[in-house]
Amino acid sequence: MSNFKQTQGYRIIQSWMEEKGHEPFSFQSQTWERYHNNFSGMVVAPTGFGKTFSVFLGVVIDYLNHPNKYKKGLKLIWISPLRSLAKDLAKAMNDVVAEIGLDWAVEVRNGDTPTKDRRRQERLMPDVLLTTPETLHLLFSQKKNSRWFKNVNCIAVDEWHELLGSKRGVLTEIAIARIRNLLPKLRIWGISATIGNLEEAKDVLIPYDVKTTMIRAKEKKKIKITSLLPDQVEELSWAGHLGKQMSSKIIPIIYENTTTLIFTNTRNQSELWYQIIIDEEPDLIGQIAIHHGSIDKVQRNWIEEAISQGLLKAVVCTSSLDLGVDFKPVDCVIQIGSAKGITRFMQRAGRSGHSPFETSKMYAVPTHSLQLIEVAAVKEAVKQNEIEARQPYVLTYDILVQFLVTLAVGEGFKPKETYEFIKQVHAFHFLTKEEFDWCIHFITQGGNTLKSYEEFHKVVLYDDGLYRVKSRRIAMNHRMNIGVIVSEVMLFVKFFSGGYIGMIEEYFISKLKKGDAFVLGGKVVEIQQIKDMTVLVKRSKKKKAITPSWLGGRLPLTSGLTHFLRLKLSDALTPNNREKELKFLHPLLKRQEENSHIPRHDEFLIEMIETKEGFHLFAYPFEGRLVHEIMASLIAYRISQIKKLTFTIAMNDYGFELLSDQEIPLTEENMNAIFSKENLIKDVTTSINASEMASRKFRDIAVVAGLVIQTQPGKRKTNKSLQSSSGLIFRVLNDYEPSNLLLKQAYNEVFDYELEKVRLQAAFQRISNSKIILKKARNFTPLSFPLKVDSLRGTMSNENLSKRIERIQKQALK
Amino acid sequence: MMQNISIISKTIPCNDEVLELTNQRVIYWKTQKSLILSDLHIGKSAHFQKSGIPIPKNVLTTDLKRLKQLIQHFNAENLIIVGDLFHAGYNSDLDEFKDWLTQFSNLKIQLIKGNHDRFSNAICEQFQIEVFKKDYFLNCLKFVHDFKEPSNDFFTISGHTHPGVFIKGKGRQRIKLPCFQVTKNQLILPAFSLFTGLNTRSAPKNCKNYCFTDDGIFEL
Repeated sequence: MSNFKQTQGYRIIQSWMEEKGHEPFSFQSQTWERYHNNFSGMVVAPTGFGKTFSVFLGVVIDYLNHPNKYKKGLKLIWISPLRSLAKDLAKAMNDVVAEIGLDWAVEVRNGDTPTKDRRRQERLMPDVLLTTPETLHLLFSQKKNSRWFKNVNCIAVDEWHELLGSKRGVLTEIAIARIRNLLPKLRIWGISATIGNLEEAKDVLIPYDVKTTMIRAKEKKKIKITSLLPDQVEELSWAGHLGKQMSSKIIPIIYENTTTLIFTNTRNQSELWYQIIIDEEPDLIGQIAIHHGSIDKVQRNWIEEAISQGLLKAVVCTSSLDLGVDFKPVDCVIQIGSAKGITRFMQRAGRSGHSPFETSKMYAVPTHSLQLIEVAAVKEAVKQNEIEARQPYVLTYDILVQFLVTLAVGEGFKPKETYEFIKQVHAFHFLTKEEFDWCIHFITQGGNTLKSYEEFHKVVLYDDGLYRVKSRRIAMNHRMNIGVIVSEVMLFVKFFSGGYIGMIEEYFISKLKKGDAFVLGGKVVEIQQIKDMTVLVKRSKKKKAITPSWLGGRLPLTSGLTHFLRLKLSDALTPNNREKELKFLHPLLKRQEENSHIPRHDEFLIEMIETKEGFHLFAYPFEGRLVHEIMASLIAYRISQIKKLTFTIAMNDYGFELLSDQEIPLTEENMNAIFSKENLIKDVTTSINASEMASRKFRDIAVVAGLVIQTQPGKRKTNKSLQSSSGLIFRVLNDYEPSNLLLKQAYNEVFDYELEKVRLQAAFQRISNSKIILKKARNFTPLSFPLKVDSLRGTMSNENLSKRIERIQKQALK
Repeated sequence: MMQNISIISKTIPCNDEVLELTNQRVIYWKTQKSLILSDLHIGKSAHFQKSGIPIPKNVLTTDLKRLKQLIQHFNAENLIIVGDLFHAGYNSDLDEFKDWLTQFSNLKIQLIKGNHDRFSNAICEQFQIEVFKKDYFLNCLKFVHDFKEPSNDFFTISGHTHPGVFIKGKGRQRIKLPCFQVTKNQLILPAFSLFTGLNTRSAPKNCKNYCFTDDGIFEL
């Protein structure tokens, strides 16, 4: 250490910090030294403690010490998951560089960067480039792109925990491998918040044979969680996700604090809550804003700026503000509804009281009564410091296919060399040569049957041994499609008189007519015209306006949280004195106990109810929506082996429902066999094949692998003759090419995506150790009611289609 | 994959004519010995392939095999195609179609041009197809691609929309199926090709839906 502290670079940074009255945190100086000693690694620190400056200043110090080792051009690539993060980070880095008198250029490059700046960067890259995984892949698709990377010293990945566990993580892993293939000496650094599997996170980021280290900050963030309760338990509904009746409790909190962030889970919720608050307290107009991913970026930038300057009392937002740089004035956070996970809950809480050693204040607002149990569970988890793991994706053939075409569009690639560096990527450790060859085959000849694809020439093998894309049109389509974020078809919303408001799903707008009013970004507007993927609107005075719903964005509860949820429910009837949420809920819980049962930790509850709608079976594993979906179709499949049946399936985070028009033959005699852990994997595989789950997974895969071409908002709808739905292609491939690897991936992702498989097996293990309680209820219970009204639905049937239609027609005649 | 199809039909009266709707996406018009169909989209799979999207070509082969069985089953002498016979420009799928045609020496094809049929008339001559730019009239029936306005004197038969319907039943069942949409004075055909989507959002006023499965046809 002492040697390092003598270096000129260290002393410059140290005295610069001193001038500002700061002292480096120990995790910062530790990072600098390890970087100095040629390590790669991962820094784990809570937000607000200057984790950016750990890695960034490490590179600066190294440069100051060895300026000759660095050549002109790109030295540091900084990958961050959010575009909005990059802008503020670049500003912070530029300030440092200017203050210590370094002649470095720090620039941002992402989807928002103007063409003129991008062309300039392509002529001369800045010293530090802040970018996203997608933009990096776009760079790979350019001619002679290697020249930009030849002097890179370090790739840093910010908020790695956020990328890990999504397909964007795999994009990042591949991007690093591609650059490392050019520069074996590249140093790789990750920055992460605390998650349950840090070692694994580091190995996924740096799977190479290099010196690595993990640096953990000792500093901890203090969090204070308070739940807001209505005056009477009856005021809270049994189901729902708005919680409007809580608005009067929220207003005083907004006034008590400088700036409050109000987190909602969906864009639809945030629009509604913005209206609710303004209706409740009109004085707040002008001091409250709304921020979510579908709001125009100019306006979003303005809002972020206004928060920083303390101009706003409150901002209603979604996960769009989960991450980001310090908003100094924010001293309070309100979470409406469930945060769905412990990490997310803590991350959001951490947005308040951002500077070190300040306490984060979080108010939890339930939108229905059962959510109070969830709040109690989160509090317990935070107390015990239990944090979820993030599972990395593996064997994502769709991304591999996309990346190979990206290389072919760019400089071209040699299969042998590419296979070798792809194999090193964590996601593709278990990629076989046959599978890799299949991917090559897929992009050169289309599929397995040579004869079938005579006109397919996407990627062509040239005489020099390189695979390239010949057609300009194919190259262009591919560039537009790079990335793994698959969204619904979106349309821009723009005032007739000029000025963008945001984006909206085509699905929503197609149901509206000219003159209909809807709400976006807190504004009521009226449709004037729809042209070239843009909706032209004018302000509306109409009282009745529709709030759009955006599909997607519904997250399941994490397993970490569900564990605590089961524990809390188990002793819900006898809460200790400090659990005011459970005490408050007592009347409701009593009702559940009287009409049915409250499952103790060693019990598993099934409720059967017959209503006008049909025959319902409710089961409550408390494992999160994804696992319930698989369980539901499995149980439906097993029951339908007793008697041919058709089920509609619903699930939420607490349990699932099977609904049938005919009596469900589940009894105390066979229930243990139906919920048995025997033959689990075999039965799950069969039931997945019989359900629509794989088809839904295929939606994203088809887009990523280039089977479905996405239309960009604001662009003219071109390629009309190439439009098709992923559902259609799924069906066609299932019929004609069942061995297609992308299909296999879709089936795998339903359940082989490790997390779910492990959770599922653990769940059945738990059920087999539990006492199954089968209750016949006369009416919907507090537990079953939310499932009945608020849920996603699917179907599972092993009956002949014509027979079903005949019965439906007969039942209608009755 | 489909081997032999079962052909189930249901007859409906249209003005003075009798039409036989089948579960195989065509209508048989007995008095004229004609099959009426729409939206074959020949060339769609090859068009996708040309643009770098690998779609198996067997899609077309299967469609044509089904059409052959229908022609033989009904002993049909004419095909009346109400548009979108071809999907895009000339490609190898069209060669396959040409080969397929040679097995029928006496089959007459009449095509009412659809929005996808943007080829030159020379191509049609190669296939010996009689082309109608806008509409075609026979007896009291009028054939167009996309139904625009009702006519009082004729019963109009069209395609274009790829109609589908949802059947809702007890226990929140929802089944989505292709269908024929029939009113007093018009009928919309389902798309013949299996490589097409379904549109459940457009339906004429007061229409009756005839949906079908592999082994049945149902009036809803």
